[in-house]
Amino acid sequence: MKLDINGKPLEVAVPDDTPLLWVIRDEAGLTGTKFGCGRALCGACTVHVDGEARRSCVFPASDAVGKKVTTVEGLSENGMLSALQQAWLDENVPQCGYCQSGQLMSATALLAKKRAPTDAEIDAVMSANLCRCGTYPRIRAAIRRAVTSMVTEK
Amino acid sequence: MKRREFLGGLGVLSLGVEVGCGTGRIATHAQKTGELSPSVWVSVKRDGRVAIEVEKVEFGQGVTTMYSTLVAEELDLPIDHVDAHYADSADEFRTFTGMQLTGGSASTREGFLPMRRAAATCREMLVGAAAEQWNVPRSECRTDGGFVIHGEKKLAYGDLTVKAASQPVPGSPRLKPRAEFKLIGKQNRRTDLRAKIDGTAKFGADVNVPGMVRAWVVHGPTFGANATRVQADRAKALPGVLDVVTFPGGVAVVAEKTWQAIAGAKALEIDWDKGILGGLDTEKLRAAVRAHGKGGDTVRDEGNAEKAIARAATKLEAVYEGPYLCHAPMEPQNCTVHVRGDKVEVWAPNQSPSIIQGALGRALDVAPADVLVHTTLAGGGFGRRSGADFAVQAAHIAKRIGRPVQMTWSRESDMTQGFYRPFMVAKLRGGVGADGKIAGIDSQSFGQSIIASFLPSAKGALPLPQGMQPLLVDALRGLVGNDVVTDPSSTEGIHDTAYELANFQVAMTPIRTSLPVMFWRSVGHSFNGFVMESFVDELARAAKADPFAFRRAHLPAGSRAMRVLDAVAAAWNAPKAPGVGRGIARHTSFESEVAEVVDIEIVNGRIKVRKVHVAVDCGIVVNPDIVKAQMEGAVIYGLSAALDQEITLKDGVVQQTNFDSFPAIRMFECPEITVTILPSDEKPTGVGEPGLPPIGPAVANAIFDLTGKRLRRMPLQKELDR
Repeated sequence: MKLDINGKPLEVAVPDDTPLLWVIRDEAGLTGTKFGCGRALCGACTVHVDGEARRSCVFPASDAVGKKVTTVEGLSENGMLSALQQAWLDENVPQCGYCQSGQLMSATALLAKKRAPTDAEIDAVMSANLCRCGTYPRIRAAIRRAVTSMVTEK
Repeated sequence: MKRREFLGGLGVLSLGVEVGCGTGRIATHAQKTGELSPSVWVSVKRDGRVAIEVEKVEFGQGVTTMYSTLVAEELDLPIDHVDAHYADSADEFRTFTGMQLTGGSASTREGFLPMRRAAATCREMLVGAAAEQWNVPRSECRTDGGFVIHGEKKLAYGDLTVKAASQPVPGSPRLKPRAEFKLIGKQNRRTDLRAKIDGTAKFGADVNVPGMVRAWVVHGPTFGANATRVQADRAKALPGVLDVVTFPGGVAVVAEKTWQAIAGAKALEIDWDKGILGGLDTEKLRAAVRAHGKGGDTVRDEGNAEKAIARAATKLEAVYEGPYLCHAPMEPQNCTVHVRGDKVEVWAPNQSPSIIQGALGRALDVAPADVLVHTTLAGGGFGRRSGADFAVQAAHIAKRIGRPVQMTWSRESDMTQGFYRPFMVAKLRGGVGADGKIAGIDSQSFGQSIIASFLPSAKGALPLPQGMQPLLVDALRGLVGNDVVTDPSSTEGIHDTAYELANFQVAMTPIRTSLPVMFWRSVGHSFNGFVMESFVDELARAAKADPFAFRRAHLPAGSRAMRVLDAVAAAWNAPKAPGVGRGIARHTSFESEVAEVVDIEIVNGRIKVRKVHVAVDCGIVVNPDIVKAQMEGAVIYGLSAALDQEITLKDGVVQQTNFDSFPAIRMFECPEITVTILPSDEKPTGVGEPGLPPIGPAVANAIFDLTGKRLRRMPLQKELDR
């Protein structure tokens, strides 16, 4: 099957139901997307398929054919961090860092839809992503910071 | 580590630098490489950058930033001139009770002076070289921004390394007094974050060794089960599948790619034996412990608790209970191993390369020194990665395959394969005298000893599965001092309470099961904080005293514990809205003091923790924002356990398998957390764990405040629902 990951074409021979996660990690060699639970319970594997946040551990690779897949490696352009990535640094969000790719992908999808999400909207979307280090207060702060910085830029 | 070749002879337990006689080798090394390298810890490179070795695992606690800060401080460098490298296994990195180990909230406590000394040694040698070149007294030179400076003259560190390497190694280099700190306690950046937000950070699961293949493991339904029959024909016929390996405790499918190994694992048909737990059932275990009478080993005996309680004006009895808990780090256990004859190379997210060396030495019958362990970033650990069970399994598979093998566990394996926080019960009796003071406390603990799991001759010792038993034996023998011990971690936080108690008895009865248990964030304190802070609260309420004032009245005047308690007074006394319950708890652990005040509500039967105010005294702080982050993290990790988490077994089968049955706090339930760090001139103490013990009892005390119901069994939400 032919896939488009971060704007690059990738042709792979895998069964249709192979989870997109393993195609991204094993075949594309992009290891920023993490395996956490295998059942869409923790969000560590979150990527975008045509801009929608998807749990790649249960998302069949074949369903991504003809669509644009974006991983955490695709968030920054030529080393330029996205507003959310910068906010993540400014708020010292990560601890171990393992869940943070997924957190960033969920937050990015959220802000693409809602310029200025309410706390309830942030909670609703971000509660799909577990963090065992307990970085939630900082994730919330970083999303708010990114919203502010994007408004200032406009 | 090439530097090891010429820098032998470092004391195993000292983080210090080689003093005096090593000058010749240091100079030779500098002539060869251009580097000033007086110790294994800190090297000044020709380009002026400074390389440091971090012998701990970075799993979010911030050790990379902490070590970098200490070194930059003493070398008067911007922190981004320091390059941290995670040390491979080596004797000179066995800095923790003879082991290379990350745990016990010890990294800052134990590294604070040695890392600074290692950097200050470089600084003095660089200054000496510049002073000699300029023919000026070294006392007239200063350092700043990577230069040695004298009046208008300056020399870059990188241009001085070779000359500095011939300088005498100072026996006790001058360390900056606190007033001169520019970074310690001031700089709040973390140095390990960039790679964690752009996907380039390499965790254990991201290791890619040339020629590597992948293994996916299937574990049996009952704990410790061995496969008795494996029908692997269908799996082996699948594309990419290379082999199916049966080993003690599991079966692995090895394939070129992970998805192929997973597909292969689904195609296996396996018969399993009954496992090693003999049908362990946690409900039956609870009943047996609850029915068990007084006894056990006396851990502490002050005055006469029995008499004092009998005479007390108010008497109280309570039984507290905490379940087995799994650590559930975000990165499931994994390990990459390459076995080449009697040489073994390991890449693993792990808390102790030394334990892996010992375990693989035994499992593969090679010398531990021939096991080279590379420590990767770890996606959480919380104590789980102190073991080597995952490495042993990967090693069995790799030995059979002969190529580098990356073994990954499913979340289900990570959750069901043991090494849990022990199930614990504590039966307390106590009384308050007419004077409003605690007359006496009698505490009887029951639980599985963690150290006994590793020490075959210790009380409570048990046979462990899969060759696990020997892992810690040699290392922990030194720690506990003799072969017959009562595990101090079983009653820590009770027997060493900060409260002044004239009549106080503490005893411990070990529970013996074959379920392996392990250090879990804050270890014994994770349960014993709940015990002490619930019981003291109960005594206060029974004596009709204010829980804050009652605690304060029992703490030594002017103690750190009292100061930290006082730091949450405002939160305790703040106006409280209707429908809000407020609870307080304080606890000493890992030499630090933490007090917490929580506000809760109960909405449709669900405990909602709204606010947590934390006050902490952890001595001198290196990075205030990391201390704050660790308090936030410990509160949230502890809250997940206190409210909802438990591991239960039925007929030897672990009932929880993934984040649906073993839930953790998510953002919508995350409380607002404020952290007050008390200023201190005392030596640094623990930070990673001490924030956890007070959260459970503070919530339980708040539930009592709101409802009048006293919850004595964790997880609290389940107990409230009963």
